Amino acid sequence: MNKLKLNYTSLSFLPILVCIPLGYQLINNIHFGGFKLFQEFLISAFNPKIDNEIIITVINRINETILIGFFSWLLSIIFGVIFGIISSNIFYEIFNIPNFFYRIIRFFLTIIRSIHEVVWGIILMQIYGINFSIGIIAICIPYIAVNSKVFAEQLETIDYKSFESINQINAPKFSSLLTLIWKPIINTFKNFGLYRLECSIRSTVILGLFGIGGIGTSIFLSFQTLNFRELWTYLWSLAILIILSGLIFKKIKFNTTNKILSIFFIAVFFIVILFSFSYFLYFIFNYNFENFNSVSPLFKSISNLGLFNFLKLILETIILSLLSAGIAISLPPLLMVIFNNNTSKIFIKTFAFLLRLIPTPVILLILLTFNNPSLSLAALTLGLHNAGITSKLLFTNLDNQDRRNYIAMKSLGISKKTSWLLGLFSQQAKSYLAYCAYRSDIIIRETAIVGVIGSVGLGWQLQESLSSFAWQEVTIVLIAYSSIAIVGELINGKIKDSLT
Amino acid sequence: MNNTLLELKNISYKYKNNLILNQVNLKINSGEKIALLGKSGSGKTTLISVLNGTIKPTHGEVKLFNKSFEELDRKQKSKITTIWQDLRLIEDLSAEQNVNCGLLAENNFYFAFKNLLNISSFKKAHKYMKLCRLHNSVYAKKIRKLSGGQKQRVAIARSLIQGSDILLADEPFNNLDPKLITTIKNLLLENVDKNNTKKSPKTSLVALHRLDLLNDFDKVIGIRDGKIFFNIKRNNLKKFHLDKIY
Repeated sequence: MNKLKLNYTSLSFLPILVCIPLGYQLINNIHFGGFKLFQEFLISAFNPKIDNEIIITVINRINETILIGFFSWLLSIIFGVIFGIISSNIFYEIFNIPNFFYRIIRFFLTIIRSIHEVVWGIILMQIYGINFSIGIIAICIPYIAVNSKVFAEQLETIDYKSFESINQINAPKFSSLLTLIWKPIINTFKNFGLYRLECSIRSTVILGLFGIGGIGTSIFLSFQTLNFRELWTYLWSLAILIILSGLIFKKIKFNTTNKILSIFFIAVFFIVILFSFSYFLYFIFNYNFENFNSVSPLFKSISNLGLFNFLKLILETIILSLLSAGIAISLPPLLMVIFNNNTSKIFIKTFAFLLRLIPTPVILLILLTFNNPSLSLAALTLGLHNAGITSKLLFTNLDNQDRRNYIAMKSLGISKKTSWLLGLFSQQAKSYLAYCAYRSDIIIRETAIVGVIGSVGLGWQLQESLSSFAWQEVTIVLIAYSSIAIVGELINGKIKDSLT
Repeated sequence: MNNTLLELKNISYKYKNNLILNQVNLKINSGEKIALLGKSGSGKTTLISVLNGTIKPTHGEVKLFNKSFEELDRKQKSKITTIWQDLRLIEDLSAEQNVNCGLLAENNFYFAFKNLLNISSFKKAHKYMKLCRLHNSVYAKKIRKLSGGQKQRVAIARSLIQGSDILLADEPFNNLDPKLITTIKNLLLENVDKNNTKKSPKTSLVALHRLDLLNDFDKVIGIRDGKIFFNIKRNNLKKFHLDKIY
């Protein structure tokens, strides 16, 4: 008998097996109490509330969202570049600084990155209370670390021979550094930095659900009052904002040879840095640290967390990540191969857009209308939201792909589905899986959000500990979270390396 | 008077257990034009990298102006310029920006900044590009859009604009047609032009494959398996010398 051999195509579908245990638990947990609400939610999508009052609210809330989203994006890009430079090899090579510092900075950034912005937000809100700047800071902290990783990775791709050549000219160190990194930084900003604005807006919305302000807060309040028509007004406005921000950046061509534009960007760069530092100093010296003063030494007394329960929460978080990743990886290609026609394609694209648009806590709350809270439900929520993101990438790549193989296979009389699978998808499977490995990192971090609402994993424990100002517990939960995310990132990094 | 500019004493270089350079001794005096001959893989590129300080030898001592590289300041180090075999241009920058990179050593950070923003003066760069027979339609083009020969001349222009005293060139005539080879050879080896203005470094060591280009050199060095087999005046070069290294 032939041995079973797995290729990239089959590996893309295999994780869907997570649906077996997941489906079993979901079916057992089903209840019919909220079906009417769910129905109402769906119908309201086509009948959002539109009147003067809500339009004014939408404008105000959108302004707040843009303010938080834009500033957190701008700051995280600028500081991401700075930290990216000082956590890249090239910096240490040029300045002859021992690599030891580079490892310390990278490790520090990895820890910061491993904690989701919602977690940072909740912690900062507990310490400083609710205001806009907390939203900006909460988003900036992990975003700076994420951006710096991407910028550093791009700087690592600088040809070592170019470095040697510039080094041999014996120019001042800063001149050499700038000459080598300028273009990689600009290109990374164009390809990655602009996309981060959309991420920043999404994060602002999610933080809004936790009370930071902006349209997220309105979405949450409408949901709490079960005012679905109002909810959809906010959701559609958010959709317009996200689409518009994407379109505007697509239209703007950042021409670095345009002198006035270049000088403008450099001026913005320095003004933002100066402003950030002055604001940081103001923030440090003018805030009330009363709550924070209650932080006692971490290991002064034994934590109230039982060891068994704590391990159970860690295990839940890991399982939650695995199940969600399974759905996010396999659902998009599976739907595309099963419903392989143009009408279905439009339907899947719309569905995926809605999954990306609606914040995960709202998806979870909607699903809770007909299912009891469980690990499976949280996994389904996180999986569906991320499937919306992975399917966008898959659609874009498939649309740009050479279709000759697909056409050739179809001309041989092979069925449309098989031709799609072997002639189109198989060529994308490897890069798709590599992206999914990166996405899995994010899924691990996002378990915090669904954990808080869905009463599962460490996210739930974090919320509980924060509510009771049990700072020792908070610290332990954060260490556990961070460790899971770091280990996950290492594993996914290995997978990604083997795929690229 | 001692006019030795560069000196290698018992230089050996090992890379992954392979001895690339083996007990090399060499003196380069001011004003000398030296041709470096040897098969591919004989150690020519490594020798040039040791001479310009890019590679630290496993054993031995490199001296520039009678000082070791560690003792030299940045200005002194910049007295050497190199034309690399693989050119080592910055692909994302334009030809004129790459040539201006040769001026980084004599200018401050602000110049590097202006160069990247395209707001620095390219007058000097254009002068050297013109000397290298580069058409002005090439000046603002990205390196990746240039032909092999054009890239080669951009690298040469970048090296000449540095105004260094010593030129190290690793097969600088690659990718050039016969007419251009003569022009570039004259440019590299005749250090003053008709108006008596400095064009190229006075002292040069050029790695070559083409024996018909040897006429303009004072000395010839033959290298094989990382060892210098001969270091003689060009007029004394005989067939048996070449048989030793090829």
